[in-house]
Amino acid sequence: MAVLIIICIGLLMATISSSRISGPVRSATGFVVTPFQNGINRIGTWVYRQFSGFQDVKHLSDENEELKAEIEQLTLKNNELVQNQSELERLRTLYQMDRKYSEYDKIAAEVISRNPGNWYSTFVVNRGSDDGVAVDMNVLGYGGLVGIVTQVGPNWAQIRSIVDDESNISAMASNTSEPCVVNGNLLSMDSGKINFSALRDSDNQVIEGTAVVTSNISDKYLTGILIGYVADISLDANNLTKSGTIIPAADFQNIREVLIIKELKTTAKELES
Amino acid sequence: MRRKLVIFLIIVVCYILQTAVFPMIPFLGAVPNLMMVITVSIAFMQGSAEGALTGFICGLLLDISNPGPLGFSALLFVITGYFSGTFAEKYFDEDIKLPLLLTLVFDLVYNTIIYIAGFLLRGRTDFAGYLKNIILPEVVSTLIMLMLLYRIILKLNHVMREKEKKGIYSLWIRD
Repeated sequence: MAVLIIICIGLLMATISSSRISGPVRSATGFVVTPFQNGINRIGTWVYRQFSGFQDVKHLSDENEELKAEIEQLTLKNNELVQNQSELERLRTLYQMDRKYSEYDKIAAEVISRNPGNWYSTFVVNRGSDDGVAVDMNVLGYGGLVGIVTQVGPNWAQIRSIVDDESNISAMASNTSEPCVVNGNLLSMDSGKINFSALRDSDNQVIEGTAVVTSNISDKYLTGILIGYVADISLDANNLTKSGTIIPAADFQNIREVLIIKELKTTAKELES
Repeated sequence: MRRKLVIFLIIVVCYILQTAVFPMIPFLGAVPNLMMVITVSIAFMQGSAEGALTGFICGLLLDISNPGPLGFSALLFVITGYFSGTFAEKYFDEDIKLPLLLTLVFDLVYNTIIYIAGFLLRGRTDFAGYLKNIILPEVVSTLIMLMLLYRIILKLNHVMREKEKKGIYSLWIRD
């Protein structure tokens, strides 16, 4: 014990008086300890790196999640915009229709349900007698005539489209004003065409692409509403009249909004009474 | 009572699907006749009386949205429900084969009668064309719908029936 104290004091004295002794002692200890320190330090760095790496991963995954959420939001927004765009286009066409037939008072309506079967093409819109809709009013869609109101409730109206098998329209060729009959056909509906018949056209003026409009002698349809364009035409067996098919101007595949003309055709009979 | 309300709710939901959702799906060649699916399913599970009542409601709903007189589909569906219900006591309702056959037959009959009443009488004589383009696609899509929906309706009906029974028993015990 006393010896140790004496060594310590001696060491103190020696190192204070000159640094020559401390050098070798330090280096000797350094020789022994440094590898350990080094090793431990490396372990520490490794641990630190792992830890910080882990933090990085966590950070990245957080960021990834955030970005994913952002992408989701943007996709949603994009979808919404695309939808709005298509709606805008639809409404624009409808607006053009409104301007085209501006002499009539119209009301816009939304299609809320279709016929539940496959035999009839009728649909129901969200306007009814409360909004002034009545039976036999004409209905316009994107591009042309869509149908006619067949039934009316307070807040709904059933519309029979012109492609329906039971639909018969008194029409005329727009250039010759010769009357003909346009009727829907269930079997040719898939090809998107409707039939016309009993058209007198001795001068062959009606060709493919001629517009067919509602006739002035029709008692339900207002005059001059575009039905569609002639797709093909052929002479009947009687050699007098022609018949063929029409591509409707209105799009029936994805019909969403329609315009109902709030005006009924006044017939001569009504005028008399 | 609660079970009947649930059935009524199923009918209404399916009616909305049939009128507002399925016609909008472009790749669906034909709108399936969900009302037929429900009528046959319920009748086959519960018997003639309930089958006829379900058929009446389903048919009337169809009549409301079809042009033409009210009661046309209702009558056919009442018969469908009644007839399908006669098998209820003899067969287990877990087996889907008989409902499939019943749906096939009655959907064919229903559509053929529509064709005769609404089309043949107006001079549309091409029955083969209508069969190929209208009737068969509808029958096929209806059968697919039956396969999809039958389990669900069965399960719902089962659960509600159990509850109904429990309700009755607890009433007895209370008395």
